[in-house]
Amino acid sequence: MVRASLMLLKDVGRGFCNSLSQMLVCPLSKKPLRYSEETNSLISDAIGVSFPIKDGIPCLVPMDGKIIEADDMPKTDDAADLSSKNNQ
Amino acid sequence: MAVCIPLPSCRFRHRPVRSSLERQELFGRIAPVYDNLNDLLSLGQHRIWKRMTVSWTGAKMGDCALDLCCGSGDLAFLLSEKVGSNGKVTGLDFSKEQLSIASCRQGLAPNACYNNIEWVEGDALELPFSDGYFDAITMGYGLRNVVDKERAMQEMFRVLKPGSRVSVLDFNKSTQPFTNLIQEWMIDNVVVPVATGYGLAKEYEYLKSSIKEFLTGKELERLALQVGFSNARHYEISGGLMGNLVATR
Repeated sequence: MVRASLMLLKDVGRGFCNSLSQMLVCPLSKKPLRYSEETNSLISDAIGVSFPIKDGIPCLVPMDGKIIEADDMPKTDDAADLSSKNNQ
Repeated sequence: MAVCIPLPSCRFRHRPVRSSLERQELFGRIAPVYDNLNDLLSLGQHRIWKRMTVSWTGAKMGDCALDLCCGSGDLAFLLSEKVGSNGKVTGLDFSKEQLSIASCRQGLAPNACYNNIEWVEGDALELPFSDGYFDAITMGYGLRNVVDKERAMQEMFRVLKPGSRVSVLDFNKSTQPFTNLIQEWMIDNVVVPVATGYGLAKEYEYLKSSIKEFLTGKELERLALQVGFSNARHYEISGGLMGNLVATR
């Protein structure tokens, strides 16, 4: 099962730019995403948020997003704001 | 201090995030035994229902199909066979654990045509797909679990191509008291005891309340028409215990 998963990860890494990134959009702005090979993430330039790709699977739940300028901050401010609004 | 960046083109909804998070965690917990329990609790019939769900979409060779709340991938694999190697299937779920199982099942399958499936972790209420992209959408046992059913239907409508269909399989909230009685009895006396054996009693007790909070077939049809589908029909299957909404954009 581990070998199969690793093979899948390699295949997805190679093909990722060509297929999946072309069909995906930012879940919040609905604008196109850009694949960043160096960070292995999908960038929403429209809202300045990056979404991670883990084990070849893009994580596009809005709260998975991270504001690009604040690399050291935990999770996105949007997620923090949304959480605090719902906790009130 | 965190800086709030304005997002002019997005809509933040005051959804009960904790409720959605709880459901996400629930599906994460049941992920390892989800497939086995589906087989056991439905005596394998869920496979038939899912084939019907896929047929109702009208998905064909070369199509782009989406399976929402894909879980461990049952419907995605069936769609994959329908659309073939020239087609594409996207399976979306908010549970990392379920997607991990789906991805592993894909890797272990001998059938090469399952290579046409991509998995995406996402929210059915904020789909990461552009307007009018898909030729067919399925959703199996997902609509009942989302916190905003209207929003989910709106998103399905948005990403569907005009003339294409969505097919939503779920428990049926029957208007017949006898059917409700049978359904409740089966949950109390079959589903929960079996789930208890897997240490998941509380997770499956959730079924009864989620069916009570769900919409009837007529209400689902009305909701689909309300969000813009041109046609909507709810079919009761398996003696009324299950139902399948088919809506055309």
